[in-house]
Amino acid sequence: MRPFAMTTAAMLLATTIVSAQSKNVMPRAADGHPDLTGVWQGGSATPGNWDDANGGTGVGGTGRNPTAAVVLSSNDRPAGREGAPYQDWAAKKVLESFNRRGIDDPTAQCLPGGIPRSVTLGLFPQQFVQTPTQLVILYEYMNVFRVIPFTAKHRDDIIPSYMGDSIAHWEGDALVVDVIGFNDKTWLAGTGTFHSDQLHITERYTRVSKDRIDYQVTMEDPKVLTKPWKLASSLMLREGTRLQEYICAENNLDPARYDELLKNGVKFTR
Amino acid sequence: MQVLTLLLIALLHHSFGAEYDVNQPITLTGTLTAVEWTNPHTHFYLDVKDDKGKVVNWKFEGYNPSVLVRNGWKKDVTMKVGDLITVFGWRARDGGSWAHSREITLPDGKKMFFGPPAGTGDGGNTPVVEVK
Repeated sequence: MRPFAMTTAAMLLATTIVSAQSKNVMPRAADGHPDLTGVWQGGSATPGNWDDANGGTGVGGTGRNPTAAVVLSSNDRPAGREGAPYQDWAAKKVLESFNRRGIDDPTAQCLPGGIPRSVTLGLFPQQFVQTPTQLVILYEYMNVFRVIPFTAKHRDDIIPSYMGDSIAHWEGDALVVDVIGFNDKTWLAGTGTFHSDQLHITERYTRVSKDRIDYQVTMEDPKVLTKPWKLASSLMLREGTRLQEYICAENNLDPARYDELLKNGVKFTR
Repeated sequence: MQVLTLLLIALLHHSFGAEYDVNQPITLTGTLTAVEWTNPHTHFYLDVKDDKGKVVNWKFEGYNPSVLVRNGWKKDVTMKVGDLITVFGWRARDGGSWAHSREITLPDGKKMFFGPPAGTGDGGNTPVVEVK
């Protein structure tokens, strides 16, 4: 009986492991491509539902409390191996904004966050809706959206915009999104990270499991950058989370306060 | 003094690191005097007695209103003026009577998050560029 009992236990254990693994299997759409549909939190690598992944009173990301949530705010850039490759004149402008603590932040005026900022911030969820022909992304932050057709060519009547003109295609299991047609009114990733209307962004969304999309972004801008600027982050599935209204303009204190600071010539030093 | 006051009230829409110090965690208990349900961030104020019994009005920054709703907060219901509130957070770098709030303990003992965890990105601490 004893060997039989052990065999049974081993089979049960194996079944449990397979079951646990299958629960985190990357889902595919009927056409065989990964299905990115779901509500996601950017700027996080913590699995679980929204409450589980955003709890704790520790200092996330510093190693003081490894259980504390790591969440990027809208002014944080994902960890990068190198500084942003701005041309010298442009780097000075970025630093100037940083030293004024970002009071010229476009989002302080309730303008859209742009890309990749809207993707990598963690305080607000974003919802992906994938069909065989397009991906629609709804961002709670500033209540903006992107409609991304799966096609090879940008339309020829693009009007410069905050979120740009996106098209996408599949490279294996990665959805590669090409974005052009930006205005020059958003920040990329971090305080003061301005760009020109020549910005060209390439994003790769790779759903590596049920829980997680690996996000890689390359920013090119010949007017302000010296070379492509690459960052990587991840988006985590937040089952049960629903998008809400985000009405930035209601009771927005920032513009008046910033105007007053600028008028009074207050110097910002750290 | 006017300049100082402006600095205290104005530095809002930024990463944690720009204004608050992770090395200064703080827990305070006091009476709620006001809640500002404002964009981009919310605030509330507590009357807190210092060591000598003097009452100081502390200001605490919190999530955007939309995030508070997601976290289960109801405006003017969950936390009301006059309530005795305990708050855990991190103090401002300038040492003033204001802080970044994280966990609130309500009069009935229930704990809720009013602000995000201490910042983890580099947006507030370090510029993304090196200027030669």
